[in-house]
Order: sequence, then structure tokens, then C-alpha cells
Amino acid sequence: MKKIRLIPRLDIKGPKLIKGIHLEGLRVMGDPQEFARRYYEQGADELLYVDVVASLYGRNSLHDIIERAARDVFVPLTVTGGIRSVEDVRKILRAGADKIGINTAATKRPELIREVARKFGSQCMVLSIEAKRIGDGRWEAYTDNGREKTGLDVVEWAQRGVELGAGEILLTSVDREGTREGFDTELLSAVSSVVPVPVIASGGMGRPEDAEKAVRQGSADAVAMADILHYGRSTVGEIRAAAKAAGLNLRTV
Amino acid sequence: MKKRDVITQYNLPTEVRFCKLCTVSNQRPRITFDENGVCSACNFANYKRTKINWEERERELVELCNRFRKGNGEYDVIVPCSGGKDGSFVAHQLKFKYGMNPLAVTWAPLKATEIGRRNLDAFIQSGFDNVLGTPNGQITRKLTRLSTQHLGDPFQPFIYGQTNYPMHMAVKHNVQLIMYGENGEVEYGGDMKNAFRPTREIKDHDKHYFSGLPPEFWVEHGVSQADLKPFMAPSYESIMENKTEIHFLGYYKFWDPQENFYYCREHTGFQPNTERSEGTYSKYASLDDRIDGYHYYLGYIKFGIGRTTSDAAHEIRDGKITREEGQALVRRYDGEFPQRYYQEFLDYCGITDEEFQAVVDSWRSDHLWRKTSEGWELKHAVWNDNGESQG
Repeated sequence: MKKIRLIPRLDIKGPKLIKGIHLEGLRVMGDPQEFARRYYEQGADELLYVDVVASLYGRNSLHDIIERAARDVFVPLTVTGGIRSVEDVRKILRAGADKIGINTAATKRPELIREVARKFGSQCMVLSIEAKRIGDGRWEAYTDNGREKTGLDVVEWAQRGVELGAGEILLTSVDREGTREGFDTELLSAVSSVVPVPVIASGGMGRPEDAEKAVRQGSADAVAMADILHYGRSTVGEIRAAAKAAGLNLRTV
Repeated sequence: MKKRDVITQYNLPTEVRFCKLCTVSNQRPRITFDENGVCSACNFANYKRTKINWEERERELVELCNRFRKGNGEYDVIVPCSGGKDGSFVAHQLKFKYGMNPLAVTWAPLKATEIGRRNLDAFIQSGFDNVLGTPNGQITRKLTRLSTQHLGDPFQPFIYGQTNYPMHMAVKHNVQLIMYGENGEVEYGGDMKNAFRPTREIKDHDKHYFSGLPPEFWVEHGVSQADLKPFMAPSYESIMENKTEIHFLGYYKFWDPQENFYYCREHTGFQPNTERSEGTYSKYASLDDRIDGYHYYLGYIKFGIGRTTSDAAHEIRDGKITREEGQALVRRYDGEFPQRYYQEFLDYCGITDEEFQAVVDSWRSDHLWRKTSEGWELKHAVWNDNGESQG
């Protein structure tokens, strides 16, 4: 049985940790380093950093935040947002990231996925997909933090991304993000059933039980969580205990 | 089409200056800049953060509510509300926090969006009585065409109703208090006499909301008095006899549109749009009308101030983004043509693309625009501005 990973998601704008609803109305929560350290101490398996305005402002400003994080936090760091080239990947890896995620730039030039995977390995190349439901069992990929349509079908895009070399998929439901209504398990299962790589569920985690649903109903391999942790509604430890009690296979801390 | 004299019509300064703190320029009608080059809206934002005793203001609100509370089952406050995040916040707070019995009053959009209608329905379902005023569709279309052609703003007929219909409902339902959200004149830069008092003067309506042209103006263009009636205010006497008072919740409570979004997401079933609105970056503001992109776009043409400039300026004042971020957003989105509903808009107005473009060009003032081989470009752009004044 696969080991499920618990991944706090830190959405970053400028120097601050922020949190939105449906990726909109970004509320400032505080210093990302403090949150990162807290989640590391609570036993997070990995951390996920998302520069949510990188594409919007045409910049990439996570280097300093990642450098600081890498000094105190000793779990894998995935960094996504504003990565547009192999050179950008090199820089962010050098700052201390272990994996990088690409969304906007990959939808514009899918070949970038192959270039990154060849250069740094598939295990490093996470395809980030922001999915918006457009009909029964159909989702469209969005970019720019849920602002722009791409016309890409999420399931087809995920398959294509994996063919090009993506080793993991970060799958964010824009409809559920920040709502605490639970994950879109239908979306998760639509993607995880057609790709051979791990899928990280993101968007909607409201209660510890939601993690179990993402895994059992959505076949997710990892669960990203933000609102539930940032607002102190639960801790990584409590979520781990609940998931274990539900019979999921997790790392022992 | 005859070139318009924007400078005279809106009393604009001929030298363009940008506020040193936000993205707005001195081309916004009625805005003022202080000796440090800071706009009145930024100064007000600072004042509101540092000088106002909000506890005291809330006590004033409670007193106000007590003064108007009827307690006999009748409505005691009218809240103009489209179902968006701001009006819904006002109505919900008044009803559930301050124990008032509000009637939510909506003036129909010119051409409603699905998300706007869904949000209005969700708002009503969250616990409100609502009246929706919908004027004669043929006359509204005609007025939209006329105001596009003559005022360079398709929104004028909507603004008439939005401003006047709540007063009709106040008179009709014997309600003395009308509560709006923010005072746009104060929050976005305008006549600052309103900054230090909670109420709006009804006699300012024509000047601030109707560009000096009340509904009666359109008689000259062949719209009958009877057809204009729904767009007109109730008689001044009836407003006075009813002892109608118009207040702004933004005077009594700290006004933060982003927090209103959070509040309404939680309490009134509000949903943001699925994608950003054309001409700006946001997904949660001004979503109700398919025509509103043309209102903002023509504002961009007339004043060089598009929807992003206003949105970013407000978010800078609220501490949500920096000026530099605002400049990048303006550069990216401000001049974006609202393509999504363009054909619908033209069909609705009954004008052609050429006619609309002629209207657009007639409003391009030489002090703002130059024509290059690439097309029109603004002579002064905030993304080139380092906070110093430019000629």
C-alpha cells in the first residue's frame, strides 16, 4: 500500500503568506517562515510553496523565502509559480528547492516539461494544474492563479504532461480551493486513474476526514492543505492521527 | 463623429499627474491632489486607518439603527444591493448583527450575467426580502444606445435606476433610512466634503452620478416623459416628506471590499466569477452586467483610467498590493478591450462596430492620447511613473 504524504501548502505573495478563496481575495496571513517552521515541527512530510502572483506580475520572488526555509526545514520543498525556463528551475533548486512545479509556462510551451525532466529528472518536475469544473466530469485547466482559461481539458493535459516527463501532478480544484468543503474527489479520480505518477490533491481540505476521502475516493497520493492549518483549525499531527485511525498508510513520525 | 472636449466637460487638468502612492491620476473627475502629490482617496485611506475611532463610529451606528428601528414588522431600512459582495455585506450586517429589518432593493442590470443572477438568488436565499426593479427593456436599450452615443457611457440608464429606485422604494414602503456601502466619492477620490459625515445630499445626485444629465435630458432625443418615469427620482417633495436619509455604512464601519468578499462567501452564498473580468485582474467585483466592460473601457478612453487603475489604486490604499505591483497590473490589463460580450453589446444597443469605434475615438483627448503606427497609445502611463510629476 502506498504511503500517503501530508503537505502543507504555502501560497506566497511578495514576502507574505496569503490565503484566498477560489484563489481570489488574497488575505495576508503572516510570515511564511513562521508557518513553515511550525508545520515542519508538527511533522509535515513535505512543504509546497506557491508564488501565486508570479505569473500575474511577471516575476519570481521565492528565492529568498526558499533559502530561509531550507535552513530550518528539513523536508522536501516543492516550489511553483513563475517558473518559465530551465534556468529558472536551476536557480530555484540552487536556493534549496527539491522539486519545482510549472503551470502557466507549461500550458504555453509544453516542451518545457520535457526540457526540465531531461535536465533535472522527472522526480523534480511537478505539473501544476488548476482545474475548474466546466460540466459533468469535465474540467478545464486555468493559469495565473485561476484567472485565465486555457481551453485545455484537465485529464488530457495531465496525460500529456506525464508523457512529456512530469513525475508528479499537483491538482488544485479552483472550485473547492479555500472553501473547506472537501476535495473534488471526482476530479482527483479522473486524473489519478489515467496517469501512472503520484497526484497531490489540493483545494478544499476543511476537516481531517477530507484527507481520507481524497485517498480512498480520489486515489490521491498526497494531500495538500492550507486553510485548515493556517487558521489553526487543526494541526498536521491531528490530521496524521485521524488518517492513521482511518487506516491510511502514512509515514511514522 | 465630432471630437469631444473632455477637458471642459469634466473639468480636467491638462497636465497629467499620477498620485505618488497609488495608480490613479488627476484625470479622475473631482479628485484632488495635495501639495505632496498624494490624491484625496489615499489621504482619506490614511485618515481612515489612523484617525477614526471605529468603536465610537460603531456606537453611532447603533444609535442610528435605534433611531430608525420600527419594531412593528415594517421594513426599517432600504439596502441597495445587487447580490454582490458589498451590498450583501451591508444587508447581512444590518439584519443579523444590528437587528434591523432591511428591504434589499435591486435595480436590474442592463444585461445580467449568469453569475450575477446566481449571486442575487443566493443572497435572497440567505434570508432577505428583495424587490427587483426592471424597467421596460426596449426603453432601456434605447437609453443605453443614446447614452453610449451622447455621453460615451452605456451605463447611464442603469445608474439612474440604481440611484433613484431605492428612493422610490423608501417612499413607497415608508422607510426613512437608506444604507449604502461605501461612499465612492470619498473612497475612490471625489468631493471630500462627504468624508466627514455619514450622509449623502440628494441634491448632489445630478452632479455626481448623472454627469450633469438627469433622466429628463433624453426627452430631447425622443424618449417620452412616461418612458423616463421609472428612471427618475421620486419628487423632491415626497423624498423630503418621507424624511428620507441616505447613509453609508463605510462611515460607521471600516470598509474593506476584500473582507466583504470573505464575509459574503461565508454568509450569503456569494461566489466569485470563474475567470477574471476583462480589463482587470479581479474575479469578485462588479460581475452582474455584461455591459459593464464598456462602461469601464470608455472611462479608460476618456480619462486614461481603466478598471485596473481603479481596482489597483484601491488595493494599494487597502494595503493589499504595492504601488509597483499596481503599476504592473495596470500595464498588463488596463487597456484590454472587453471582447467577450462585444457582439452582444452592439446588438443590444443596435449600433455597429464602426459606430462604436467612432464614439470611442471621439472621446480620445489630445492631452491623453497619441496615434502611432501601432495604433493609439497613452501619452502618460503610470507604469513609467516613478512618483515624480511629469508634463
